[in-house]
Amino acid sequence: MEKWDKKHILEIKEFDREEIETVLSLATSFKEISQRDVKKVPALRGKTILNLFFENSTRTRTSFELAAKRLSADVVNFSASSSSLTKGETIIDTIKTLQAYHPDILIVRINSSASLSTLAKYTQASIINAGDGKNEHPTQALLDMFTVKEAKGTLEGLNVLIVGDVFHSRVARSNIFGFSKFGSKVTVCAPPTLVPYEFEKIGAKISYDLDDAIKKADVIIMLRVQTERQESSFFPSLREYVDKFALTPQRFKNAKKEAIVLHPGPINWDAEISSSLKEEVHPLILKQAENGLAIRMAALYLVGTRKRAL
Amino acid sequence: MTFSEEKIVLSSQDIKRILYRLSHQVLEKTPNLEKIVLLGIQTRGAHLACRIQKIIKEIEGSQLPLGVLDITLYRDDLTAIGPSPLVKETKINFDINGKVVVLIDDVLFTGRTIRAALDEIMDFGRPERVELLVLVDRGHRELPIRADFVGKNIPTAENESVEVRLQESDAKDEAVIARAE
Amino acid sequence: MRILIKNATIINSDKKEEADILLVKGKIEKVAKKINEKADKIIEAKGKTVFPGFIDMHVHLRTPGREDEEDISSGSMAAAKGGFTKIFCMPNTNPAIDNESCAKWIAEEGRRVGKTDVYPIGAISKARAGKELTEFVALRRAGCLSLSDDGTAIKDSLLLRRALEYSKMSETLIISHCEDTSLSNKGSMREGAISSKYGISAIPDIAESTIVSRDIQLAQFLRVPIHLAHISTAKSVDIIRRAKKQGVKVTAETAPHYFILSADDVEKNAFDSNFKVNPPLGDEKDIEAIKKALKDGTIDCIATDHAPHSKAEKELPFENAPFGFIGLEFAFSLIYTHLVVKGVLSIEDISKKLSFNPAQILGLKGCGKVEEGFCADLVIVDLDKKWEVRHKEIVSKSKNTPFLGAKLNGVVETTIYNGKIVYNSKNES
Repeated sequence: MEKWDKKHILEIKEFDREEIETVLSLATSFKEISQRDVKKVPALRGKTILNLFFENSTRTRTSFELAAKRLSADVVNFSASSSSLTKGETIIDTIKTLQAYHPDILIVRINSSASLSTLAKYTQASIINAGDGKNEHPTQALLDMFTVKEAKGTLEGLNVLIVGDVFHSRVARSNIFGFSKFGSKVTVCAPPTLVPYEFEKIGAKISYDLDDAIKKADVIIMLRVQTERQESSFFPSLREYVDKFALTPQRFKNAKKEAIVLHPGPINWDAEISSSLKEEVHPLILKQAENGLAIRMAALYLVGTRKRAL
Repeated sequence: MTFSEEKIVLSSQDIKRILYRLSHQVLEKTPNLEKIVLLGIQTRGAHLACRIQKIIKEIEGSQLPLGVLDITLYRDDLTAIGPSPLVKETKINFDINGKVVVLIDDVLFTGRTIRAALDEIMDFGRPERVELLVLVDRGHRELPIRADFVGKNIPTAENESVEVRLQESDAKDEAVIARAE
Repeated sequence: MRILIKNATIINSDKKEEADILLVKGKIEKVAKKINEKADKIIEAKGKTVFPGFIDMHVHLRTPGREDEEDISSGSMAAAKGGFTKIFCMPNTNPAIDNESCAKWIAEEGRRVGKTDVYPIGAISKARAGKELTEFVALRRAGCLSLSDDGTAIKDSLLLRRALEYSKMSETLIISHCEDTSLSNKGSMREGAISSKYGISAIPDIAESTIVSRDIQLAQFLRVPIHLAHISTAKSVDIIRRAKKQGVKVTAETAPHYFILSADDVEKNAFDSNFKVNPPLGDEKDIEAIKKALKDGTIDCIATDHAPHSKAEKELPFENAPFGFIGLEFAFSLIYTHLVVKGVLSIEDISKKLSFNPAQILGLKGCGKVEEGFCADLVIVDLDKKWEVRHKEIVSKSKNTPFLGAKLNGVVETTIYNGKIVYNSKNES
């Protein structure tokens, strides 16, 4: 039996290697279901899943919703405005109110970092973190690792390069914890304003020079660049950012021939990645979306079929 | 549960003979080879299906379509058994509509696995007929299910178990009865 | 009313003695061995310890504006339970305590409740907006011994200069909340390994120390005293220590949580909002520096920064919840347990940090000591007793504290304010 005893999926930092492997191996089997004519299996029949999004996200929510439906669960989308986090009904009230419907799984996205373990105390349901502030986005890291494993055959001993707004990125944090557990080395590359200097303590190397860092990379994860960061002076202009940190054909030439490029999406072409590289890099990035569905099915299956405490 | 002494009920030679006989029976029942597809239930049913495919090729010269089925997601006890069982691959690369599906497993016991397999098959299409082939029928059915092709009926007590071992997964071919202590 | 306390161990900031104490009409009439005089009440205090009434320079009573979180009455009761006979409440209320009548009303309301002296702290700037000075002289007349815009720092250095200069005339102590808000940048915890690991927006320690440095230079330049509130970092301590050596008239306070808790506790408690405070909890180095500063006198006194918040507010996720802990009811036991029992401070130091020094800093005459002629504000404590902080026993209207469940040494048994017993642990009166 594969290792699994988690009720919630909150943070990759609390996963061990075997647990990550369990999710990835399950995802391999779940991929096939989406290729059938009848894209549905009865594994979670009769289970109620709530998609609880305090922050907008069409992609992640759709992916979770489809995953739940393909496992035959009843899924309801509950989009709460984040204003309810600051006044009136507290989020804990929301969770308690929803508990009255006896959901089995809550999929939560919220803009407050590290807030989910507290919420878990107020519901009997399993919680899956669909992104909590700047903290973690575990299913994104799992699907990234899954995609890398498919492409590279292994997660061990790789040089993983994460490029972009690491400071504000839950995807970066989850990936740093995830890849490190397999003995891969993670380097984060961004302007110094967007890299917490403390990241060395959590096992990532820091680089401010993409031209240099790209040479050794086996996996390059490009993060989304937010133009708001320019307004708060994290970088002086998008132009200068692109000049230093975009993946251009020229830079990509310096990478290893077998290096792969991932992006959590949606991509700002010509900001993070030159659109002239579209043919080379887009197919794998699209595959991430497909793999994301399988990973989320695996995640829902694992927490949804846990034996209920008597 | 621990099991005490094991008794071998089928030897490697027995299994070989049985599989040849069963293959012939399948062909006898459906002479139109184009209609037959083989589906083995993970994991030992899949190994047996693979062997039957080879035997039929040997006899008739043509290779029947072969698929594997993992029924975990269709189990009726998914949330009761926990921790979540591993889900293996399901692979059916052909159309089953209008075909005669020969569903293959190693041991027929309560019938619940077969119920799950039938549900899963229906999600892939509408076969003309589904036939069940098992190496061993040990009785104790809990659902109204019977096999069309049985290798050997082995009457057992509730506290006994029948285990089929195959070269592909267990390094030898045999079937044993073991009694729970 | 005459109260005679027998066989007490009296702890003053400079000495410890065994004696009887006679209180008459709100004054300490006599301190001597074996007083045999008539009294309305005799308290046998053998084995008990008597401190001068504690003075808390820094509390938030949320009045006016959020009386649901705390009011003068509940705050006074919490103070009495904690042994505080004088508390100073910050003006970050709604509306702010920035005018004579509001300040006067608070002091009067405190007298009406009659459990502790409630001194209003006036705002430095109108509506605490950091633009124009309030009427320091009028505020002083209304009872404000000190002024502060606590809750926010005064960003405009020129305004702070004017405030410090003007305070020479009004004889009001300027208390500075040291925080460069552009550096703290809406952070929720101390910047460090844990904030990076969990992506929590963070406040660097220099957000405090840069303003400490600015304020000290202003005070030095103008030769005016300044008091620095809730000092929490090793870097601030270094700057204050140097300034004191140079003779700058700077005084400083810290709060119990800054020598007990660190950012690690925030992680260990899964980002429970009851561990969110401003300035934020630091690291081990800060804790050690604060302890050392208390020992060598760099930090003069301990205040609670008692900051009540409603249950709903503290139920918000860590990054959304407001800052602050309540503290009046636990301060003495926390200090005794974490500093005296562990040998960092002497028992006399409690008297110094909680009574004598605050009285000196605020220019309060005739209090801060158990001595003949001083005011009859006393706390009787059983140092040998242990207790546990329990939600239902908290008398403050708000229950937001990271110390729920903490097992502490030393119980305040009786609080005497102005010659009257205002709290007794046995009947909770």
